[in-house]
Amino acid sequence: MASVDIRNVRKSFGKTDVLKGISIDVDDGQFVVLVGPSGCGKSTLLRMIAGLETISGGDIKVGDDLMNAVPPKERDIAMVFQNYALYPHMTVAQNMGFSLKLKKIPKAEIRKKVEQAAEILGLTPLLERRPAQLSGGQRQRVAMGRAIVRDPKVFLFDEPLSNLDAKLRVQMRTEIKSLHQRLRTTMLYVTHDQIEALTMADVIVLMNEGRIEQAGPPLELYDLPANMFVAGFIGSPAMNFVHGRIENGAFVSTKGVTLPLGVAPEGLEGKDVVYGVRPEHLHVVTEPGVGAEAEVQIIEPAGSETQVHLTLGGDEIVGVFRERLDLAPGSTVRLTTDSAAVHLFDPESGRRHIL
Amino acid sequence: MESKKEVVFGHAILLIGALIALYPFVSIILQALTPAPGSGAEGWTLENFISAWTRGGFSRSLLNSAIVAFAVVVATAIAAMLAGYVLSVLKFEWRVAVFALLMIGLVLPSEARIIPLYNLFASTGLLNSYWALILPQIASSFPLATFWMANYYAQLPESLSEAASLDGASEFEILRHIYAPIGMSAVLTLSCLVFLFTWNEFMLALVLMPDNVAVQTAPLSLSFFAGNERTTEPQVIAAAAVLVALPVVVAYFFLQRRFMQGLLEGAVK
Ligand SMILES: Nc1ncnc2c1ncn2[C@@H]1O[C@H](COP(=O)(O)OP(=O)(O)OP(=O)(O)O)[C@@H](O)[C@H]1O
Ligand SMILES: [Mg+2]
Repeated sequence: MASVDIRNVRKSFGKTDVLKGISIDVDDGQFVVLVGPSGCGKSTLLRMIAGLETISGGDIKVGDDLMNAVPPKERDIAMVFQNYALYPHMTVAQNMGFSLKLKKIPKAEIRKKVEQAAEILGLTPLLERRPAQLSGGQRQRVAMGRAIVRDPKVFLFDEPLSNLDAKLRVQMRTEIKSLHQRLRTTMLYVTHDQIEALTMADVIVLMNEGRIEQAGPPLELYDLPANMFVAGFIGSPAMNFVHGRIENGAFVSTKGVTLPLGVAPEGLEGKDVVYGVRPEHLHVVTEPGVGAEAEVQIIEPAGSETQVHLTLGGDEIVGVFRERLDLAPGSTVRLTTDSAAVHLFDPESGRRHIL
Repeated sequence: MESKKEVVFGHAILLIGALIALYPFVSIILQALTPAPGSGAEGWTLENFISAWTRGGFSRSLLNSAIVAFAVVVATAIAAMLAGYVLSVLKFEWRVAVFALLMIGLVLPSEARIIPLYNLFASTGLLNSYWALILPQIASSFPLATFWMANYYAQLPESLSEAASLDGASEFEILRHIYAPIGMSAVLTLSCLVFLFTWNEFMLALVLMPDNVAVQTAPLSLSFFAGNERTTEPQVIAAAAVLVALPVVVAYFFLQRRFMQGLLEGAVK
């Protein structure tokens, strides 16, 4: 087990800069999720930590050791690949024991460690099978087992669940998290799925175009997004954004609709802002004269909650309501929100105003 | 859906093709089994094989062919596996240049190298030895064999070697424990092909080992044998031809099964 210290790391492939200065402190035993849209450089960063890509600039330390020039086989880091990369000609047990065999550890001891890991992962009845005879979820477990057996300093995962169906994905998510709680090994986990990030991470690092947009605990990114990119990426359905300006201490959209604000924001009077509110923070009110009027467009019931697409003036917004509402497309409702849940963003820089 | 007519037509064409391909082969076998003039045997007989074996010295030349083919196949297979690994998995920096060079070896007609080879072996004193047949044939099988293995390895996911290196394997250990065993089926198919080429090689043997009966290979001694016996006993020559071709037939059936297996594997995946 070890901390991972990533200091101003850069990567270019020829002339294209893929990582433009990334710094992350991963504490010993932490579960850090790297999340971001496709192509933002998550896999590249992970592969640099593993030693599979060279480092164009900056430093990567594991524990106190500088890793920049250390070949992968000497890093004591385990990685679970998206395609699992199991050795097709070996049985499950041989796959899991391969690293120990290379270290010339006695057969009996290898057998013991493999059986222990198989026990944790529920692979015991499959030990003599080959990868081709396993389901996707089972292969995924073998890939994890291969990592566990080694007891490495750091675990890396590159989108390990993306080849599984939705139900299995949710199940494996929980299993990986409980595995982490059990082993307490430092883990870095790459995904482009913000739900995976929110549910699994101690710390989320949200990347975009080779830079970090925000890093912090999941709820911090959810509650206090640093900018519109973070606000829009974390949370599903995504945060509603309405363009407008502050007039007389209230928000008025460009379409002329007034939306509720808590305290009148200081220093923003007369300025253009973007009003951000999450779908789950909208409420339908019945008392007359309260809230902003919106027209119902599409209703998508999902059992525990109902997702409603509405137009507010001319702006399209989404609301998620847990109560059963008697709504019909074309009808008009009045919406309010907890003023504490409202964010104001600078339309130029995208940054969130501190209210 | 194909109509019944189309099916019948297709099968008819295949049948005619098969007959044309099989005719020389079957007629040779039938002739080899027919008693030679002057022999007392009636009906089918195996005595042509016995007289070919004893008179033509085929025990010697078949052994020579086996030695040459074995050496060429083993050396080519090992070299191609190593080269394929370096080119496709280790991504050797100058691999494009290497492939270009191999391409030259692939397209150069073998007749074009015979004279230079003769001079080379004459000057090194290796003419009329096994080396004169083994070395050039390793060289001429190597380009195709390397393409074969490099292509096979290039199809495997890169993460395989990456996973192994994270598991603590060195480049050589990755080859030994991962790519060599996985590549075994490709190597076997390749070995069959190289065996066929090598066994049937005639021109090189004719030019490079004409004067030493002790090292002559089977196709060469078949040709000498046929030259001597042509007019008198064609049945014995046919028997000799069958003897010489037998290993090729065995290798062919083995190869064919491997090809079918490969096709089926692809279909199931
Ligand atoms: N070997 C390479 N040569 C050139 N460009 C590369 C190479 N590998 C990656 N890139 C580029 O680097 C960028 C980041 O790639 P990376 O694989 O890290 O993205 P990612 O965040 O993992 O995306 P995804 O979610 O799709 O996996 C991409 O624009 C990609 O095209
Ligand atoms: Mg990726």
